[in-house]
Amino acid sequence: MKLTGEQDRQNSADVWVLAEMTGGALHPVSHELLGAARRLAADRGCRVWAVALGSDLSDAAASLIAHGADGVILVGDGRLQAFNDELECNVLERLVRKYRPEIFLGAATNRGRALIPRLASRLYAGLTADCTGLAIDPETGDLLQTRPAFGGNIMATIRSGGFRPQMATVRPKVMQALPGDRTRSGMVVRESVAPEDALHIKQILETIERRENTVNLSDARIIVAGGRAMKGPEGFALLESFAQRIGGALGASRAAVDSGWIAYPHQVGQTGQTVQADVYIACGISGQIQHLIGMQSCKTIVAIDIDDTTPMMQLADIAVKGDLFAVIPEVMKALDRAGVRRAPASTEADTEEEEQC
Amino acid sequence: MKIVVCIKQVPATSDASIDPVTKRIVREGSKAMLNPFDLYAVEEAVRLREQAGGEVIALSMGPESAKNALVEALSMGADRAVLLSDRAFGGSDTWATSYALARAIDTLGGVDLVICGKQAVDGDTAQVGAGIAAKLDLLQAANVGKTEALDADGITVRRMHERGWDVVRLRFPALITVLKDINAPRVPTLRAARAARRAEIPVWHPADIGADPGRIGLRASPTQVVRTAPPAARSAVTTRIAGAPAEVAGELVRELLARKLL
Amino acid sequence: MGEAVGPRSYHIEIIPPKQDSQKLEADLELFAGKFERVMESGFTASITDNAMGLLAFQGHECIEELGLRVRPEQVLIHLNTFHTKRNLDEILEACGRLGIRSLLAISGDGSPRLPRLQPADVEAEGAPAVTSVELIRYLRRHYPEFAVGAAFNPYEPEAHEFDKLERKLDAGASFLITQPILRKNAVVDRLLAAHPEVPTILEAWMSKKLYLLSDVVGYPIPEDAEYDPFATLEQLQATYPQCSFYLSLLGFKTQYARIEEMAGPARAEQEERL
Repeated sequence: MKLTGEQDRQNSADVWVLAEMTGGALHPVSHELLGAARRLAADRGCRVWAVALGSDLSDAAASLIAHGADGVILVGDGRLQAFNDELECNVLERLVRKYRPEIFLGAATNRGRALIPRLASRLYAGLTADCTGLAIDPETGDLLQTRPAFGGNIMATIRSGGFRPQMATVRPKVMQALPGDRTRSGMVVRESVAPEDALHIKQILETIERRENTVNLSDARIIVAGGRAMKGPEGFALLESFAQRIGGALGASRAAVDSGWIAYPHQVGQTGQTVQADVYIACGISGQIQHLIGMQSCKTIVAIDIDDTTPMMQLADIAVKGDLFAVIPEVMKALDRAGVRRAPASTEADTEEEEQC
Repeated sequence: MKIVVCIKQVPATSDASIDPVTKRIVREGSKAMLNPFDLYAVEEAVRLREQAGGEVIALSMGPESAKNALVEALSMGADRAVLLSDRAFGGSDTWATSYALARAIDTLGGVDLVICGKQAVDGDTAQVGAGIAAKLDLLQAANVGKTEALDADGITVRRMHERGWDVVRLRFPALITVLKDINAPRVPTLRAARAARRAEIPVWHPADIGADPGRIGLRASPTQVVRTAPPAARSAVTTRIAGAPAEVAGELVRELLARKLL
Repeated sequence: MGEAVGPRSYHIEIIPPKQDSQKLEADLELFAGKFERVMESGFTASITDNAMGLLAFQGHECIEELGLRVRPEQVLIHLNTFHTKRNLDEILEACGRLGIRSLLAISGDGSPRLPRLQPADVEAEGAPAVTSVELIRYLRRHYPEFAVGAAFNPYEPEAHEFDKLERKLDAGASFLITQPILRKNAVVDRLLAAHPEVPTILEAWMSKKLYLLSDVVGYPIPEDAEYDPFATLEQLQATYPQCSFYLSLLGFKTQYARIEEMAGPARAEQEERL
């Protein structure tokens, strides 16, 4: 909504976080968003609300409050089990117009990146995707949103001060969640799907959950990625065991994907995924610009290659020159010798642990 | 059936190199290319038309030079192309861009399906597709990896997500954004490329699409760039390890542990 | 030595217009001019396939679209592994239709825009990827009407390159074209000694910009390096009289007439002998 005067501005208040419900469970990014929202709310002197849409929200409210929400708005409805862009957008549009949040944060997951632009478009609100920094401008009180553009080549700071709500999405693992505090209390508001919300929506015929398709590159702390020099599917089998050994996700260059050695969901780069892992171990990836664009924001880059003149070996923080097929098995042995314990491979394990405590 | 494919001209990735000091990618030159994801959008549009008949219209917004992107779409088999170009469109963010594109699609009339690439590689926002769908009240599916079925009433697609995929049915009019693995885009033939270069590409201005002057361009855009800065430089230091496999492996593990990365 | 290649029978490299050409018609006119001149001279037009991974139109479609006359023995079409199966078969059918008889099968340089032949496309299910070896075998099996050549790179590790060479010959390659050589080359000498029966065409670099070869030869050549293409070519011809030559980046305006002169006497001699 475009602000037309000071009254408009004052009519909007509070920070909203759209909880990310993946496969019916609360995704950890929801807690990270709440962490960011709390910091913004402290500067704005306002409250943090979490909004959760789903079919079964029995546990969501307590978890959201424990991690920083002052209140939650729950929309529980069987039709919200699978992600239906139009339905969720209609519900949220109605709620935003009703409650008028000043700031609206969501996750830059596949769901968020489809749903939130649709919502922002409906609301005539500014939306900044994939923010890496969120702050309140001390002078105007507006939200300042920093995001990488041109493949991480430029950091742009964006404001949408003349519009409400100010909307932003954030990728998983970018913001810091607060420790869960089960002593916190908060208000729970229940809303429902209105008949008109479900008038013109798509049909979801089937949802297929595929373990092998679950390539959580965006969530991964460590990524082991292979390129052309892995020579074939056998090379990727070796990388897979290496990745499992250190609890990493498996990535690939476009060359490897196009050669049919590994599936497209593993592709990192301009036409694959952009990743921001703590450690990126590039194995036999020469480092074409299109690939570098997708991984240059990783904190530590390790490259292993026989050819130490490649762009990747120049970019790397640690460059290991050697025959991949000899070095990688030796690295696994060295990990055993150094007593590095086998890490749990999935981030879901972390979540469960956290939920229990 | 009538398909509109929305495409964008973006700076060419080939004009990039690594700065040896900051280890960041530096763009140089002013070459442009068709946004890589849009190739898959154009290809899918042409394949669907080959299957169901009808026409494919390539639509873009940008400077006069963006006609090159449209020529590429025509070379790949689009039937005609329209360029939105006017100073008044300048500075549009994703909201104002999707507004203009939506107005153009509405002006074309009777459109069944709009296809966009997953995102443009310059902005990486993935917002314009959903923005168009919202403004035209189209059913939408983002990140489509496969077309399952097509008939006169709608399209059934496989929408990929982090945990697998959904099979969704969209009644027309609808919009999809496509991923790289939906198809292998054809390389244009010389005959098609020559014909595309001879084609008339009309340029539409705000009045041609009945655009509200208060909804286009920089001033109508909700987001404004306050400042831009280079990203933090990467460490210019590279720790180099070479030697026999067992030795380099041991050294690498020591280095990773010393940096507390494992 | 083989009959297909005689001395002073030059292969002239012609690069078709680029896909992103802003002046396609003019580029096509240039292509036609070069092609026709090569046909008239009795040389072989050697037409590249998306050289350096830069998207270009295919040689056969330029010839067909422009209605150029092919002299069957005088056209060599390069064919790399970056095609769809359908596209590959279309190219081969068109080449057959045009009366083209020779192909050069190479792995080629990819680009994000180019598809890649998959092992199943060329009946090489066991192979991890399609290289020139698999392509040559497929061509020989399904398109026996073409003579298929292979590339030889004297700058690669020698044992590896010779091993690959044996596989290419085993797959059915019947002639070879090398990477550019600048002087007497020991690896090429060993190639010629090992396979005197295989016609070998040596690439001569006709551009003055020698530094463009840095990546090929594997060491940096300074931008201001002095280089005399004709002196090099003459020296190579004297060193390797049994070979013919592939001239890359030949200047049609500035160099072509001299190449015709150089070919002249030798061609006359040949004709006399016949």
